[in-house]
Amino acid sequence: MSTSLIRWLWHALAAAILIALGAGLYVASKRVDYTWRWERIPQYLVSNEGDEVRAPFDAFVVVADDSKSVTLNAMRGSDTAAFDELASVAVGNGDLVFEGDVLGKKKGHLGFGTLMQGLWLTLEISALSLVFAMLLGVIVGLGRVSKNPAAADLAAFYVEVIRGTPLLVQIFIMYFFIGTVLKLSAFAAGIVALAVFTGAYIAEIVRAGIQAVPKGQTEAAQSLGFSGAQTMRHIILPQATRRILPPLAGQFINLIKDSSLVSVMALTDLTKAGREVVSSTFLPFEVWFTVAGMYLVLTGALSFGVRKLEKRFAARD
Amino acid sequence: MTAPLIQASGIEKRYPNGTLGLKKASLSVKAGEVVVIVGPSGSGKSTLLRTFNGLESITGGEIIVDGQRLDRRGADLRNLRKRVGMVFQQFNLFPHLTVLGNLTLAPCKVLGLSTAEAAERARKLLSKVGLADKAECYPAQLSGGQMQRVAIARALAMQPAVMLFDEPTSALDPEMVGEVLEVMKQLANEGMTMCVVTHEMGFARAVADRVIFMDAGDILCEEHPDVFFDAPPHERLKTFLRQVLK
Ligand SMILES: Nc1ncnc2c1ncn2[C@@H]1O[C@H](COP(=O)(O)OP(=O)(O)OP(=O)(O)O)[C@@H](O)[C@H]1O
Ligand SMILES: [Mg+2]
Repeated sequence: MSTSLIRWLWHALAAAILIALGAGLYVASKRVDYTWRWERIPQYLVSNEGDEVRAPFDAFVVVADDSKSVTLNAMRGSDTAAFDELASVAVGNGDLVFEGDVLGKKKGHLGFGTLMQGLWLTLEISALSLVFAMLLGVIVGLGRVSKNPAAADLAAFYVEVIRGTPLLVQIFIMYFFIGTVLKLSAFAAGIVALAVFTGAYIAEIVRAGIQAVPKGQTEAAQSLGFSGAQTMRHIILPQATRRILPPLAGQFINLIKDSSLVSVMALTDLTKAGREVVSSTFLPFEVWFTVAGMYLVLTGALSFGVRKLEKRFAARD
Repeated sequence: MTAPLIQASGIEKRYPNGTLGLKKASLSVKAGEVVVIVGPSGSGKSTLLRTFNGLESITGGEIIVDGQRLDRRGADLRNLRKRVGMVFQQFNLFPHLTVLGNLTLAPCKVLGLSTAEAAERARKLLSKVGLADKAECYPAQLSGGQMQRVAIARALAMQPAVMLFDEPTSALDPEMVGEVLEVMKQLANEGMTMCVVTHEMGFARAVADRVIFMDAGDILCEEHPDVFFDAPPHERLKTFLRQVLK
């Protein structure tokens, strides 16, 4: 048998095992009388719900014959208001409504459902904290390799403290203490907490990347009259970047996953959205599998992009 | 008579771990001279050479290079390094830059040349070392001999007053040694001031104005190559020469 055929058979075996696992899960759920309702999931991804229409003042209702428009006559004064082309009407002719009461729903328009909105917030938080974490990581990483003892001490202190405490604890501190003192919103506090956390790990990656560049490179640059900063910028960092890229990609993926912890601070990210949908639908399996799949799409896209980038760098030599 | 380009008086180098790399070594190199430094491994040849451009700081004595005392760090030292070219055993080319990039980066960033000026200078030097067609290659695409010739051209692009070579052919396959030595000979003939640490005794005999023998951090003797090789004045040198020339 050819080796490629044997390899193919092993791959087929892996696929068979995965399928068997899935089937096992299905059978197990049947045992506990779980009814799968996947059909209820799409509405939480893409919603077609129209916005509600509410009464602007206390008024009597006149519903048109076609049941699509509502006219309000104010209880006091002579204000009137008309609402046309409603998808559904929730009041009857002659009803008395008070300010803020629901009159009906407008025509639906395609929009993000709860889960997609959560995914969007996760993406937003991850992307913003990524930018700050990179900045912080490069600065602190340079501090770690600095000849200046003060810079080296401070950088080492930061890295040790952050890597030695759980992210969840840092998020609580950031939210309850710093968030209150500096009047940061939950969104800002979440970004700061994630950036500070990830920055410490990026700093270590940057330090390792810099230290992996052979000493001869620095000596050659100095012999040509480069200053320390010029050596770093033109010689060391460009070479370190290539070594830094793979571990950095892993750190970015961690950041996306870690961002699920900000759901403890009243931010409806993907994880929190999942919890909300579960509590209103009682479909834990479907919802959490969907949420996991959505995280996978994010992280998968990221590692795909980084692999492309790595190839571009590698093409040089 | 002009002052020597390099004047080292009684320099001592003690490494942080206590090793004495150099003990009271004195040497002077005049403009246009080619000085070859030989000696057994660990005798302090590299250390001596590296003190001449401040890659290694000294713990005693004094070095004056091109009229400037070499003791301060920072801008003074950088200005001095522009005047002293260095070629390493391991080439130390910048792998992320093309050959042309290797030759133009320092002239642009350190000397302030325009890109066009630096590129023109680089291309002239590349044809001088026989690598005009390799300008767009990356170092990893070159042979060892080609890399070392690029490294020499890179140092020359700064138009230094003196060139230091630390075993420039020791990392090369034997068939590539000749092409590098050829370039160095040509440089010497053009009147470049050179300090060369090497085990190539043929090169020393043919090109050197003086040959220096080091042992255990000391300069034991410095002689004209004819005397050095044909009538070695020192017992220790005789043993050394017997070993390397057999
Ligand atoms: N960074 C260092 N720290 C401590 N000791 C060192 C250091 N560099 C060199 N030495 C020591 O200083 C002495 C001189 O070393 P040097 O490299 O100058 O010798 P060399 O003559 O160039 O030898 P080789 O022919 O092997 O290159 C040796 O004993 C060496 O072990
Ligand atoms: Mg040496």
